[in-house]
Amino acid sequence: MDNLIARFASNIFWIGRYVERAENVARILDINETYARESEEGPDWQRVLDLHADTDAYLARYAAVDAANVVAFYVIDRDNPSSIASAIYTARENARSVRHLISTEMWTRLNISHNRMAELTRRDLRLDNLSRLCSEIKEACQTFEGVAEGTFLRGERWCFYQMGKYLERADQTTRILDMSFERAGKDIGVAMEAVHWNVLLRSVAGYHAYRSRHPAGSQPRDIAMFLLYDKEFPRAVALCVERLGTRLTELETLHGNRRHDSVETARRALVFALDTGPGSRITQRRLHKFLDELQVYLANVSSALAATYFSGR
Amino acid sequence: MSNHSAVTGYEPGEFFCEIFGRAGGRRLGHTRRIRDRLAQLDIAQLRARARGAERELYNLGITFTVYTDREAIDRILPFDVIPRVLSSKDWEIIESGVKQRVAALNSFLFDIYHGEKILKDGVVPRELVLGNANYRPEMCGFDPPQGTYVHICGIDIVRDEKGKFLVLEDNARTPSGVSYVIENRHLMMRAFPDLAEGMRIADVDDYGRQLAGALSAVAPTGVGSPNVVLMSPGAYNSAYFEHVFLAREMGVPLVEGQDLVVENHKVFMRTTHGLAPVHVIYRRINDDFLDPKIFRPESTLGVAGLFEAYLKGNVTLANAIGTGVADDKAVYAYMPRIIKYYLDQDPILSNVPTNICRETAGLQKTLDHLGELVTKPVGEAGGYGVVVGPSASKRELGELRAKLIADPNNYISQPVINLSVCPTLVGRAVEPRHVDLRPFAVTGDSTWVLPGGLTRVALRRGSLVVNSSQGGGSKDTWVVG
Repeated sequence: MDNLIARFASNIFWIGRYVERAENVARILDINETYARESEEGPDWQRVLDLHADTDAYLARYAAVDAANVVAFYVIDRDNPSSIASAIYTARENARSVRHLISTEMWTRLNISHNRMAELTRRDLRLDNLSRLCSEIKEACQTFEGVAEGTFLRGERWCFYQMGKYLERADQTTRILDMSFERAGKDIGVAMEAVHWNVLLRSVAGYHAYRSRHPAGSQPRDIAMFLLYDKEFPRAVALCVERLGTRLTELETLHGNRRHDSVETARRALVFALDTGPGSRITQRRLHKFLDELQVYLANVSSALAATYFSGR
Repeated sequence: MSNHSAVTGYEPGEFFCEIFGRAGGRRLGHTRRIRDRLAQLDIAQLRARARGAERELYNLGITFTVYTDREAIDRILPFDVIPRVLSSKDWEIIESGVKQRVAALNSFLFDIYHGEKILKDGVVPRELVLGNANYRPEMCGFDPPQGTYVHICGIDIVRDEKGKFLVLEDNARTPSGVSYVIENRHLMMRAFPDLAEGMRIADVDDYGRQLAGALSAVAPTGVGSPNVVLMSPGAYNSAYFEHVFLAREMGVPLVEGQDLVVENHKVFMRTTHGLAPVHVIYRRINDDFLDPKIFRPESTLGVAGLFEAYLKGNVTLANAIGTGVADDKAVYAYMPRIIKYYLDQDPILSNVPTNICRETAGLQKTLDHLGELVTKPVGEAGGYGVVVGPSASKRELGELRAKLIADPNNYISQPVINLSVCPTLVGRAVEPRHVDLRPFAVTGDSTWVLPGGLTRVALRRGSLVVNSSQGGGSKDTWVVG
């Protein structure tokens, strides 16, 4: 048995969450920049703010919603807790507390990423460079993930790290999905131009995976179901939820942690909601409501984990 | 390649050089290989290695941390790529001298918290001990396991112009810096493996295992496989890197006060499985902050009830409480007599000759040579109130004289020591810079000394101050045999 200090379990959980969050914010910016470029109506950066319910916080700091400022807000603004720079910083500060529990390689990766983020200026955020920068950030996060996979001890700590990662990834997939459907407009029964959906699929590295399932079509409903339920697709919500369940079971069976009703109840509620689904006829509004609910259930699992494992009683 | 080697024109002057030896004296045999290799490098090559090492330090996060209200700024402790090299003969002296000193410190602490024999015999003045701010009357009569008070000791040693080792200070509370010893070696072997090729350098990697072994050896009696933890003030402490490092080298949990709880005079840690027992605490927190019930009530770093659990023998603290009285500057002056008293041996490592101003002869000598001596108030820490005679103004010396006469008990004085130097890369040249040495000793049921120790180097030309806060850096320290 590990004698894992409860506070450190929390630190590790949040490393998993924040690195995943940084990666997904990069995905969202990338996808929105592409939409903006291809849109006839002109760029719409308001939706990114809506997605994270950040409009008020943003307007407290910037006069108007425009590309340069929204990008700065989400990439380098350390006053914005959901910026990439903040997520990486927070992941690193969590890692600082548990440097003795993670591998030297993991710490080094986070350090390098943090140092890189800290040196970025507005000049690095020009829109014509944004896609490249987002790729770099995604790759940095993926490298971290790979390093963790290859070097992090498989004990309780691994379970907490993975649970953080999967919870965050599931949450972010719901947000990316929400943004794309909102963008596509309310009337998505009619096939939209393929470009729009391709951008979405590529942004989650799901284009080819989706194609292999649906060689010809880009039906919005199929895409939504794919991102929500395809258990072979690593970013699908159902897969993340399943993995979360596996780790919880491992905590109990492999590492002797006590089983806790509150976590299990929250997990079951999440699974039930996911299984119930958004209904057979997907409208943007219905999907939005469904995704909102999923986000709440995911947050409940996170809180239950904290109450159970991170308090040390 | 240029014709100039990195050490062309290097001139240590009147100081003892750790690589090139005494001015006008014989070259040091044990540094021949490294001298040859340095002579083959040009300055650009040396600089390239240094840059590589520095980048590595930064990426590895081997840093001490400065906090602003907004964020953590990590600074690296400057690292110099030219190692300091000790012969195995030098090392034998240091190692045996350190062991002797640690034994004397532990005997002294046991005595002053039990029979006070040394005070009754008048070897050390009673009020020097009992009136000391770091003396803990609560410890009287308490028997720490194995009689060990100072489990981890760092002894600051300098070398004079003749190459003789002198003890400058004992650190018997929570000495820091050992992580740099080990990390510097790793760094050196990555950045500059060819410099060490073919040399037998004593290994430093065993520290964690030795420390864990020593701490297990002092666990409360009857505990089969003790749970050892390292207790840190937290991530905001400037030495947090070292706390992390040591917890990891030992493979033990790193905890803060908030992770511990005392129930029925027993200590537990909060884990993901609930409460788990704790038997030995390597604490990197000062006595004052350990237990708000006994010491500073406002401390949030400690654990309420810890001291009582300790006195009941349910948990061992390393170092013990109340060791600060032994590394006090005034007590330091008595160390040669303390060694003689308990061990009936002459000190293997000499003190810097010290005038004890509470003694008439010492005071007279100090007053007669005020302008040549370093005068130190004994009660202060961190170099506060130290007057360096040769660089003090007339007015400062006058003020000091008045203070000495008014309160001689509060002062000691020492000659200025010409610290040894070591070739050091400074900008575009290799120049002599002053160094000291802090070996680390670990004591459970016996004492083990980590080969080498931390070499700190004063990077400013002519400076004798090696502290990291005042422009100091560090070097890898090799014991070659």
